Amino acid sequence: MRILLVEDDAMIATAVMKGLRQDGWTVDHVGDGQRALDALSAEAYDALLLDLGLPRRDGIDVLRTLRSRGQTLPVLIATARDAVADRVKGLDAGADDYLVKPFDLDELAARLRALVRRQAGRSEPLLRHGAIVLDPATRQVTCAGAPVVLSAREYAVLEALLNRPGAVLSKAQLEERIYGWGEEVASNAVEVHVHGLRKKLGADAIRTVRGVGYMMPAPGTTSAEAN
Amino acid sequence: MRSIRRRLVVGLLITLLVALLLAGIAIFRQARTEANALFDFQLQQMALSLPAEPFSSVPGDHNDAAGLVIQIWSRNGVELYYSHPRTPLPPRAELGFTTVQTPAGDWRVYAALVGDNVVQLAQPMVIRDSLAVSMALRTLLPLVVAMPLLALLVWIVVGRGLQPLRRVTKALDARAPGALEALPEAGLPDEVRPLVRALNSLLGRLDEALVQQKAFVADAAHELRTPLAALQLQVQLLDRAHTETERAEAMRDLRDGVRRASHMVAQLLTLARQEPDVARAATAFVEVPLAPLLHDVVAHHAALAVARGIDLGLDAPEALAAISRVRGDANALQTLFGNLVDNALKYTPRGGHVDVRLVAATPAPVVEIEDNGPGIAPAERERVFDRFFRGGAASADGGAQGHAAPPSGAQTPDHTGDTDDTDDTDDTDDTNAPRAQGSGLGLAIVRNIAQTHGARVELFDARSGQGLRVRVSFGGAASTPLPVL
Repeated sequence: MRILLVEDDAMIATAVMKGLRQDGWTVDHVGDGQRALDALSAEAYDALLLDLGLPRRDGIDVLRTLRSRGQTLPVLIATARDAVADRVKGLDAGADDYLVKPFDLDELAARLRALVRRQAGRSEPLLRHGAIVLDPATRQVTCAGAPVVLSAREYAVLEALLNRPGAVLSKAQLEERIYGWGEEVASNAVEVHVHGLRKKLGADAIRTVRGVGYMMPAPGTTSAEAN
Repeated sequence: MRSIRRRLVVGLLITLLVALLLAGIAIFRQARTEANALFDFQLQQMALSLPAEPFSSVPGDHNDAAGLVIQIWSRNGVELYYSHPRTPLPPRAELGFTTVQTPAGDWRVYAALVGDNVVQLAQPMVIRDSLAVSMALRTLLPLVVAMPLLALLVWIVVGRGLQPLRRVTKALDARAPGALEALPEAGLPDEVRPLVRALNSLLGRLDEALVQQKAFVADAAHELRTPLAALQLQVQLLDRAHTETERAEAMRDLRDGVRRASHMVAQLLTLARQEPDVARAATAFVEVPLAPLLHDVVAHHAALAVARGIDLGLDAPEALAAISRVRGDANALQTLFGNLVDNALKYTPRGGHVDVRLVAATPAPVVEIEDNGPGIAPAERERVFDRFFRGGAASADGGAQGHAAPPSGAQTPDHTGDTDDTDDTDDTDDTNAPRAQGSGLGLAIVRNIAQTHGARVELFDARSGQGLRVRVSFGGAASTPLPVL
């Protein structure tokens, strides 16, 4: 899952980035409102973590602009403004959740997971696909009940695919999901990760659509093809 | 005696008593003069009514009531009659009226020639005095009797007169601790109105101070959240660290966070101490020679400047240095210039320079601090003095001094991501953070100190065109608002 962190305090930004990356998130960071809007129009994010007191463009302003553009990604406001009026204003401007500083890293990650889950139209925390079960909270994957050990990148690819079962994700889309800005991407990185996943989950787990990308076959087709 | 009412009543009564006493004495004297005239006349008449021939019978003791003593002598000095032989009167008196002193008190004596006899009548003065006394007493008695009534009346009138004071007291008593609005002045007597007006003015100033304090505390509490949030996250990262490297790095971050939080608290305290309170501060002011103070400030920051590769210098010409003096608080002034130099060092890139310059000494000193850092955009030059203001800069430079150049690279966001999740060595943010992350209080402190010293702080472009020039000019009126540039 790739998120954009908009935070003008460098120390907090650094700590949040480190913490979320440890949890397997891909995090990009900008320090002001204008750059946040630029980044949001250029890249696809799974969620936005937004501070309100920002230089150049206020967080509320960013949020309103974002929504007026029709972008529906989940937004979590994390700010020092704790007055009820501020929360109401933030939520009314289009935020999905509101977190007051100082906050706990685990809570932040849990709220982000919940936001992303709801965005995908699920209320159940576990991602299931046939025999494969992925728990975003613990980052554990089981196949037919047996735990499967995945690398961070493999996990990210699997999560991206499981979030949209039946949809074909291009190599570029997957790369975007698993690499932040400035990260070196090997040209065959996605292929390597998919290969790894197939070895651990079974060759049929991920289908290649030649020239287009990869997909998790819809459950019906899986069983049909397995036969 | 603390009660105005009691004091007024007692004072009035004492005054009244003294007045009555004086009046009594006056009446007594007047009455005695009149009694003297009357009795003298009576004596004269009586003397004339006495028998003129020798041995004629003397009327009985009809004059006993008046205490009269009658003596009659013949022309040749033989005593013919003495009504009260044992009265100690001088045997012979001069003709006419005399007052004779005897062991039994003063006597009024009248002697006259009546036919062939010398007649002398004497009367004790006591009779006349007692008459005068009783007359005085009769006049004053009703007044004395009326005194308690008078006291009661005074008591009531004074009580009513003090009613407005009680109303004001009650109004103040009934107030909630935070209610500092003015008391109504309408309908107050002239004596109470100045008191209420003074009270209202005090309440107004208190209210203002309270509002300022509240704003300050709210701002402070809000601003402390940011360093605290960072601390909490850093502690959690430390908790999560698995390897020795991770732990060391988390520890370093945490230390930076703690340093920042402590710095902020220290700055908050300094700011709170330097809140403009001109009246109080001015009493502690002494004559401060400016040149040695600037020298100290530069010396104090020299090590830091060297560490950052910045050329820091003081330019104080001998002629100016000798005569530049300021009335003020040396510690506060040191903080003022220290903050300005600190700020300049914070934003000047490696290889840059920061100059502290004494540019004028008369009529009052002017000091400039110039750097060749990014400067401050004219639009922000006033707001940078606000508490907690941080320049409209990108994430890496969150301090009060922002970038003068228009924001470049709006299309290219910061590349702050690490190259690898597991690689924790690359962190450009961290190395910059403690350096450029200000508390947003430094310039607010500068402004407050300048205000209490009646100095102006203005921001200009550096002479070279690149950088910031801060000018501190002393000698202005205290509490001059900051100039709009």
